[in-house]
Amino acid sequence: MQRLRLIFQLAVVAAALTAGVRFALGRSLVSVETYCPFGGLETAYSFFTRRQFSCSAGEANLALFIALLVLTLVARKAFCSWVCPVGTLFEWEARLARRLFRRHDFAGRWPLAPRVDRALKVGLRLLVLAVILAATWTTGELVFRGYDPYYIAFSAHGHDVQSWSYAVLGGLLLLGLALPLAWCKYLCPLGVVLWPLSRGGALRLARSSHHCTGCGACDRACPQDLRISAADQVRSGECTLCLACTAACPSPQALELVWPRVGSNRGPR
Amino acid sequence: MKAPAWLVPVLVVLCAVAGVIGSRLAMAPSLVEVFAEASPNAEPRRSVFVVRGVRCVDTAEMAARQLAGIDGVQRLEAFASRARLDVTYDPARVDAAALREAFEGPVHDANSGEYLFDLFEVIEMDGVKIESGREPESP
Repeated sequence: MQRLRLIFQLAVVAAALTAGVRFALGRSLVSVETYCPFGGLETAYSFFTRRQFSCSAGEANLALFIALLVLTLVARKAFCSWVCPVGTLFEWEARLARRLFRRHDFAGRWPLAPRVDRALKVGLRLLVLAVILAATWTTGELVFRGYDPYYIAFSAHGHDVQSWSYAVLGGLLLLGLALPLAWCKYLCPLGVVLWPLSRGGALRLARSSHHCTGCGACDRACPQDLRISAADQVRSGECTLCLACTAACPSPQALELVWPRVGSNRGPR
Repeated sequence: MKAPAWLVPVLVVLCAVAGVIGSRLAMAPSLVEVFAEASPNAEPRRSVFVVRGVRCVDTAEMAARQLAGIDGVQRLEAFASRARLDVTYDPARVDAAALREAFEGPVHDANSGEYLFDLFEVIEMDGVKIESGREPESP
């Protein structure tokens, strides 16, 4: 399954790069922004109040955003680990950092205290989201473009990308070396929109205490650094159903994907 | 109840397909510009242009300004994400070729006052692709 996920990630990254280069060369009229579901949220206010789209956002953004909400209600944040090219970049970087720094998990070199980690995951991402939506909804412009790692990385030096945009991307990548998936965990505005839906997502991972050997391989394999071995079911809104934990688990049937069951213990948040 | 692991990629693909299909159902313009009301006896015509250079509301507004002052143009709807401009006009007073010429003419930048050349290029007109610098092929 991890090989299939890698194929998905490679295909999306390749498609986004191709779309960006083709648009930059004038061979296509469809820019990489067209496929960004966050653009759907940015333009939602304009669409529902005036029946018009903001800036370069269009119906594809809105439809993909709605489809993403439905996906999250069923398969949690699967989008982040199976589709999102920015998530892919930061996950690959986290894997590289793990090898470079010879670590066994994704906690990073300087892991944050759980309380700080939780506060940043919610507070900082909500702040980023509020600033972007307020700016977009009042100006009608996609003001975030120059700071958006997706647009900077895949638009082939698109409109609004300045030299400092690359510095922003470089800074985020540097931050990602110290704090794995720093963008996804602490800054991604789409991530915080999906988070409450993901918490209630239907599909989840269940750990069988009967089969589990308590080796902790699942904890170490989780890119989101969730404590899977401490719960009967993973209910965290941050679980991306990447299934790296099930692939790493040495005990068959110890960790499986299930539909919700009533009366199970609370999982990691 | 157990669920197979392959369900996750299948759901991802299904939602992506649903998103693409859904985008066909929610078409709305990025900009609507009304130039003149239709005269009671006229039978307005609507032409669809795909214009390279139209990529956002700002560029759509520039394209709309190209039509300002042209007799017979009634309404423009811009779909920026598709680089598409739908123009409603009175065919007795103006034709689609003149509209194309207006789009492709030098663009006056309202902010800098400069004239910009080759900003817009009509690459499709009423469903007919246009070779660069050539007239549309007859259907």
